[in-house]
Amino acid sequence: MLSHARRLLAALALLFAAGSSGADAPVIAAASDLQFALEEVAAAFRGAGGREVKLVFGSSGNFFRQIVQGAPFQMFLSADEQFVLRLAEHGRSEGRGELYAAGRIVLFVPRGSPLGRAELAALAPALEAGTIRRLAIANPEHAPYGRAAEQALRSRGLWEKAAPRLVLGENVSQAAQFAASGSVDAAIFAYSLALSPRVSEAGSFVLIPAEWHRPLRQRMVLLKGAGETARAFYRFMQGERSRAILARYGFTLPAGL
Amino acid sequence: MSEREPGLRVRLRNPAPIALDMELACAPGEVAALVGPSGSGKSSVLRAIAGLWRPAAGEVRCGGELWYSREAGVCLPPRVRRIGMVFQHYALFPHLCAQDNIIEALGELPRARRAARARELLDRVRLAGLELRRPAQLSGGQQQRVAVARALARDPNALLLDEPFSAVDRGTRERLYQELAQLRRALDMPVVLVTHDLEEALLLADRITILHHGRSLQSGAPHEVLAHPADVTVARLVGLKNIFSGELVEHRAGRSLVRCWGRVLEARLQPEFAPGARLSWVIPPEGVILHRRERASRGERENPVSGVVASAVMLGGNVAIRLALDAPGELPLAFSVPVHVARRNGIAPGAAIRVSLLAEHIHLMPEG
Amino acid sequence: MDWTAFLLSLRLAAWTLAILLPVGLLVARALAHARFAGKPLVEAALALPLVLPPTVLGYYLLVAFGGESALGRLYETAFGRPLVFTFQGLLLASVIFNLPFAIQPIQRAFEAIAPEIREAAECCGLKPWRIFWRIELPLAWPGLVTALVLSFAHTLGEFGVVLMVGGSIPGETRTVAIAIYDRVQGFDHAAAGMMSVVLLAISLGAISIAYFGGARGGGRDV
Repeated sequence: MLSHARRLLAALALLFAAGSSGADAPVIAAASDLQFALEEVAAAFRGAGGREVKLVFGSSGNFFRQIVQGAPFQMFLSADEQFVLRLAEHGRSEGRGELYAAGRIVLFVPRGSPLGRAELAALAPALEAGTIRRLAIANPEHAPYGRAAEQALRSRGLWEKAAPRLVLGENVSQAAQFAASGSVDAAIFAYSLALSPRVSEAGSFVLIPAEWHRPLRQRMVLLKGAGETARAFYRFMQGERSRAILARYGFTLPAGL
Repeated sequence: MSEREPGLRVRLRNPAPIALDMELACAPGEVAALVGPSGSGKSSVLRAIAGLWRPAAGEVRCGGELWYSREAGVCLPPRVRRIGMVFQHYALFPHLCAQDNIIEALGELPRARRAARARELLDRVRLAGLELRRPAQLSGGQQQRVAVARALARDPNALLLDEPFSAVDRGTRERLYQELAQLRRALDMPVVLVTHDLEEALLLADRITILHHGRSLQSGAPHEVLAHPADVTVARLVGLKNIFSGELVEHRAGRSLVRCWGRVLEARLQPEFAPGARLSWVIPPEGVILHRRERASRGERENPVSGVVASAVMLGGNVAIRLALDAPGELPLAFSVPVHVARRNGIAPGAAIRVSLLAEHIHLMPEG
Repeated sequence: MDWTAFLLSLRLAAWTLAILLPVGLLVARALAHARFAGKPLVEAALALPLVLPPTVLGYYLLVAFGGESALGRLYETAFGRPLVFTFQGLLLASVIFNLPFAIQPIQRAFEAIAPEIREAAECCGLKPWRIFWRIELPLAWPGLVTALVLSFAHTLGEFGVVLMVGGSIPGETRTVAIAIYDRVQGFDHAAAGMMSVVLLAISLGAISIAYFGGARGGGRDV
């Protein structure tokens, strides 16, 4: 029995010694709509200078809360500039950051949905008739894309009918998940996500006019304590290669705002 | 009572629910049995002696050493008292073999000597060859012997046995009695045995203490307690059946005269009873002598009594007889005779016979 | 397949066990031998994490130790980093959350030892430490193994608390359970599926050990 104990202790010692890995690569918080786009940007960044960044995706509101509580992110890409501006007020960031993109939302209809193909005109009658049993959006409380979806529905006078049918995603990625897996009849989420082949082949989508909601002004900022690599990435985000990638994912770029 | 006296001296008091008010003494080399029915507090007394339980008041001394005293604020733990205890279900360490069980008690010996000494002890209790067996692989009797060996390992100041034979069958028990009897001749420490089995106590003990509801009613040599119980409760507890009431008439010519069943019986002289006092009296079975048919028996003149046989039951080589007395309303008289005597004298239910009650066996007790 | 996440989860489990083993032993043994008026209340409090929703625990940890709280600020001043969103914060949450898994099996195992055995050990002249080490511990060993294994498996699967106080930071708080969640959101079902299967296998292995160990130990009492 004692020899077993000794072996166990040795194994445990190894685990303890493992330590935290990759202490140098900065952790970057990014809104979920950047799920695919930012992975590409990070890959390009790695190719350009051999430096790594660690990306964490989630809803902008959640990140705001976590950063205020001291989460060790070095850079924050929000889907709503208000969160960045408030962080500046809290003194958690280096200045007020930069606009890096403007986002769009789409109406997405999964394959096999009773709605058939995605058509803006079909939305109101479908909600009216109850053809749409479940509609997925991101949680408007803390996800900017969810708020935009709500604004869009309200602007068409469809919110009351839609509200009881809503399925809320933790963030806009999860809303897209629900749609792509066919668990809902329709969804409203980020254009950038819909453009990814993994999502687009799961159904059809149509852009929702920008007038239907307040603009999704996406702002990024370096946070207090940001290191060299984070700063380099911040600069990279403003460069041509990064902007090209973002454009491909349907983002409107700052110069065009 | 000198404080330097060797042996165990125990005096305990405790309120309900474990009511105790008792005394016990046991000299080195002596076996003292604490006898009483379940719930009389015997195990608590033993645990108090061992140091496993602290009563509300009292004193425990061994060999002059003070182990427990409420007044002096002393209560030594079992380890310091150096007692050897055999628990009712032996409490052997289940994960250790017999030898290792004993080695655990040999902590004071140098490590190299422990195994040999353990084997020696096991040999003494006749378990040589079974040293490496685990308790689960031993029979009840064997486990008990390991427990005894373990209790003796430390050369204890006293040996305490808590109903050690209750968990084994009768045959094994008889053998174990023999072994304990032999073993204790070699021991020179006080041995306290707790049991509810009176016969066991009678067989093994040099003194017995009758415990009832926590009170020690009587202490003394077994035959003494049996012949001269202090009161009716003790008489009943030791299994005496022939308990009757009477009234003291007078003391005359070395006898005490007792009026009972409408006549006067001669009993042994017990001057502590005043004339006119109501009392109880008892006579053991061996004090009742059958008047034989064909031959006059000695003692025919003493306290002759006649009656009708109510029942005659064969038990072993004897016949247990219950005699319905001529005195109305009284319980029958119980005694026994060898089988051949019963047959020769025509003892059968309904037969009219006469018996004599031997005066020296009639023992007087306060009215109960 | 996120090996960093796996290693992180294993580290978390290992450290949790390292802390819980002595704590669990001490508390469980004390509880097994103690008898006092408030005992059921204490046991209920220790068993709370069994029924408490993980997010509730996470919430309270955030409130108590978050960046805005006094304790949190104190910790940050002392150690230079916050308690939340770090491995240390996870460890604290994990230890609290696994208390019943560590304490209960060990307590039952000690309770199963007949008091006479301990008394016999005292009468044999054994000092309290030796009674614990030579007599009680070997007899309670199966309970100990169960406690360790259950705590290990439970830590690996922790999600709700980690989500609340962790922040999913790779290498720091992105345990394998969180990583699976992440991969699903990233539409990477292959990775999520692979990690789920491995986690399932580990959990099944762990619980089997616990049951086998318990079955063997059951035959010990005489």
